[in-house]
Amino acid sequence: MVPPRLSILPGLPMFSSIDDVVQQFAGQKYICNRAIATVVYLASKMGKPILVEGPAGVGKTELAKVLSRCLDQELIRLQCYEGLDEAKALYEWEYGKQLLYTQILKDKIGEVLAGTGTLREAVDRISAQDGVFFSERFILPRPLLRAITSERPVVLLVDEIDKSDSEFEAFLLEILSDFQVSVPELGTIAARNIPLVILTSNNSREVSDALKRRCLHLFIDYPSQAHELEIVKLKVPEVADALAADVVSVVQGVRKLDLKKSPSISETLDWARALALLNVASLGEETVNDTLTTIFKYEGDVRKAQTELRDFMARQKSRTRTEGQPDPADKDVLH
Amino acid sequence: MEARILEFAALLRKHGMRISPAESLDSLLALESTGLGTRETVKDVLRATMVKRTSDLPTFEEVFDLYFSALGEAIRESGEQAAQALGTTLADYQKLLEQLEELLKKRQQQPGANELSELARALLRHDDGTLQRRMREASETMREGSGQSGKQEGQLGHAIGEQLRLGEIVRELEGLSDELEQLGADGETAAKIRELIKRRLADLADLIKRAARLEAARENPQPKDTTGLKSLGEKSFYYLTEDEIRKMKEAVTRLAQRLRHVVSIKRSRAKRGAFDLSRTLRHNTQFGGIPFDVQFDRRKKNRPQIVVLCDVSDSVRNVSRFMLQFVYSLQDLYSKVRSFIFVSDMGEVTKLFEDHDTNEAIELALRGDVINVFAHSDFGRAFKMFHRDHLASINRRTTVIVLGDARNNYNLPHEWVLRDLQRKAKQVIWLNPENKTTWGFGDSEMDRYMAFCDVVEECRNLNQLYRVVDRLVLS
Repeated sequence: MVPPRLSILPGLPMFSSIDDVVQQFAGQKYICNRAIATVVYLASKMGKPILVEGPAGVGKTELAKVLSRCLDQELIRLQCYEGLDEAKALYEWEYGKQLLYTQILKDKIGEVLAGTGTLREAVDRISAQDGVFFSERFILPRPLLRAITSERPVVLLVDEIDKSDSEFEAFLLEILSDFQVSVPELGTIAARNIPLVILTSNNSREVSDALKRRCLHLFIDYPSQAHELEIVKLKVPEVADALAADVVSVVQGVRKLDLKKSPSISETLDWARALALLNVASLGEETVNDTLTTIFKYEGDVRKAQTELRDFMARQKSRTRTEGQPDPADKDVLH
Repeated sequence: MEARILEFAALLRKHGMRISPAESLDSLLALESTGLGTRETVKDVLRATMVKRTSDLPTFEEVFDLYFSALGEAIRESGEQAAQALGTTLADYQKLLEQLEELLKKRQQQPGANELSELARALLRHDDGTLQRRMREASETMREGSGQSGKQEGQLGHAIGEQLRLGEIVRELEGLSDELEQLGADGETAAKIRELIKRRLADLADLIKRAARLEAARENPQPKDTTGLKSLGEKSFYYLTEDEIRKMKEAVTRLAQRLRHVVSIKRSRAKRGAFDLSRTLRHNTQFGGIPFDVQFDRRKKNRPQIVVLCDVSDSVRNVSRFMLQFVYSLQDLYSKVRSFIFVSDMGEVTKLFEDHDTNEAIELALRGDVINVFAHSDFGRAFKMFHRDHLASINRRTTVIVLGDARNNYNLPHEWVLRDLQRKAKQVIWLNPENKTTWGFGDSEMDRYMAFCDVVEECRNLNQLYRVVDRLVLS
C-alpha cells in the first residue's frame, strides 16, 4: 500500500539542498556531517519524522533546537518519562475553569431553565447547551495538540521516547501517521500544518518496529577527532588552538576505555570552557587532575581514566623533547 | 535504478535485516527528492530510510560497499592505478594509449587479421562503461544458468571468467603483444605497451575476483552478519568465546533493563487501590469541594525479598560470571536482595555489590576475598553455614534462588537445609546451568535437592534465563 504523501505548505523557509542544510546549520553553530544533513533534508522534503539515536550528549536534542532556529519555527518539546499519558501529552479538560464558569453563569443558567416544568425538560434544555462547556475554550492543549493545531508550522521534539511506556508509543504512532487527534466531545481535530517531528532515544529500550518504520533513522555517534576539534573551536573560541587539540585528543583516547559513562561532546565543551576560564595554556598533570570531574560523572571512571591520562602526559613530554637525544627512560629499558 | 535499489534491499534482507516494502518505497521517494548525486549521498539516503536499528549499521555499510562500489569503483580505480604505474604523468599515459590505438588500426588493415573482441578493446581503452556492463551481464547470465548456490568464491570466479571468455581474451592480447614490433612500434613503446597489456589482464582477473565475491555474498550471506542475540541466546554458557562473553554482558544488562521496565509498568498499574475519602476531599477543595478528581489509595507495593545463593566453584566458573551479573542487576532493581556466594563456605556479597560497579564487584567476588573460591564444592557444608547464620532472615515473603550445578564431590548433601528453607520461605527456586539429562549422575545431587524446591529450571543459556526472569517478575 502506498502511504499518502503529506505535502508541506509552500512558501515556507525550507532547505533547498543538502549543502544548504550544512551551511544553515553551520550558521547556527552546529557542525553536522553530510549524513545528518541528508536526513534533515529528507525529513523536511518528505514530511517524515526523524528518529535520532546515539549516546547521551552528542547533540540529539540540540539538532531539534537548531532546526527550529534555521526554519524560524517554534520548537515544541515533549519530554517523555515513565507514566506519561494522554492528559499530559495531548490535551486535558480544564475542570477548574469549567467549574468557575458554571459558578459565574449561575444566573444565566437559571434563566435558561426558567419556565421548565419537568426535570426532563430541564435536562433537555441544559444538554442543548452542552457544547458551551465542552468547547475548545476549555481544552488545555498539551504539546502534541499544540504542535498540530498551531497556526504556523512548528518543530516538535519528542525527547527520550525510550523513557515512555510502550502504550504511549502506540498512541504517538497514531498521531504521527495521521496527524489528527480525536477528542470524544469535539470530534476529530486535523492538523493545520504538518510539524517537523524529531524523536530522540538513548536506546534504554528498543523502540517498537512500527514506530521505527514511520521514521527516518539517524544514528549520531561520537564525532571524529577533526570534527570534534572543529566543534570545540566554534563553540569555545576563547580556548587556544593547541590546548583545544590536546583536550580533544585526550577525550578521544578516554572514549576507548571501558567506562560507565563515556564523555560526550557536551563534556568536552565543558572541559574546554573550564580550562579557558582557569587561563590554562597547556595541559599539565595537575590541571588535568583538578578538572577531571568536568568530563567524568563517576568516581570509578575518574580512577580508570587517570592512568590513561598519565600515559598521555608522558607522550606529550616525549614529543616536546628534541628528537636527537634519546629519552633517558628508554635507555633504562634497554639495559 | 528502481530495480537496483530493490535488489539491494533484497540483498540486505538476505543478510538478516528487516526491510519492508514500505521502506524500499521510502528510499525510492527519498532518492527522487535528493537526486542521485554522489555515491555518499545515495548511501546516506539509503541508510536513513532502510536502516532502523543501530545494530544493523555495520551490516548495511558492508553490503552497500559490496553492492554499489564493487565494480564501478574498482574498475575506475584499476584504470587509475595502471596509469600511475606506467606513465609518469596522465598526459604521458594518454599518449601511450593513443599510440596503442594507432597500432591497433594498423593491425586492422593487415590482411587476415581479425578484430579484437569487444571486451579486450574495452580493457585496453579504459572503456569503463562497457567493462562494467559486460561484467554485470556475465554475472547475470551465470546466475540465470544452473544452480550456483553453495558454490565457493573460487568456483564462481571461474564461472564468470568462462562467461567473459577470459581464455580467448588472454590469447588475443598475448598475441597482440607478440606482434607489436611487426606493427612498427619502437622498442621502448613496445615494452611499455606490453607492460600495459600485462597490467590490464591482471586487473581483469582482479575484477572477476571481486565480482565473484559479490556473487558469493549474494548467494551465501555470511552468518556472521546475522549474529543477533538469537543464536547467542541458545548457546550454552559453557562454550562461549571471548567475543561472545562481551556480547553476553550487554545482553544481560539489557535483560536487567527490560526487567526494570516490566517492574515499573506493573507498579504504575498497581498504583490504584480503593477510594481514598480524605485525600479526595483535600485535593478537591480547589474545585469548591466538588469531587472532580477522585483520589485512590496507593496500593502497597509488593516488594519481593530475594535471597540469592550463587555457586562460584571452578566447574561453573564461566556461568557464574553471568549469574553474578544477573544477581547484581537484581540487587540494583529490588531494594531487598541479599546476595551470597559459595563454594564450600558461604559468604555474603550484598555490601560488595552495593559499593562497586558491576565488573569490579564481580572480579572482587571471584577473586577469593569473600570466601575461598579454590576449594572443592561442598553444597552441604555451605548450606549448613547458611542455615546457621542466616536462616533467621528468611520469612514468608522471601524468594530463595539457588544458582548452581549441585555437583557436590560426594560430600554430604544436607538436603534438610533446603527443606527448612522451603518451609520458611515463600518459594525456593533452583537454576541449574547443566543439561537436564545429566542431573543426578555422578556426583550431582540434583535429585535430592529437587524434592525441596518449588521451581527447578535448567538455565544453560540466555533464552532460558529470560524465561526464568519472566516467571520471577510475573509471579
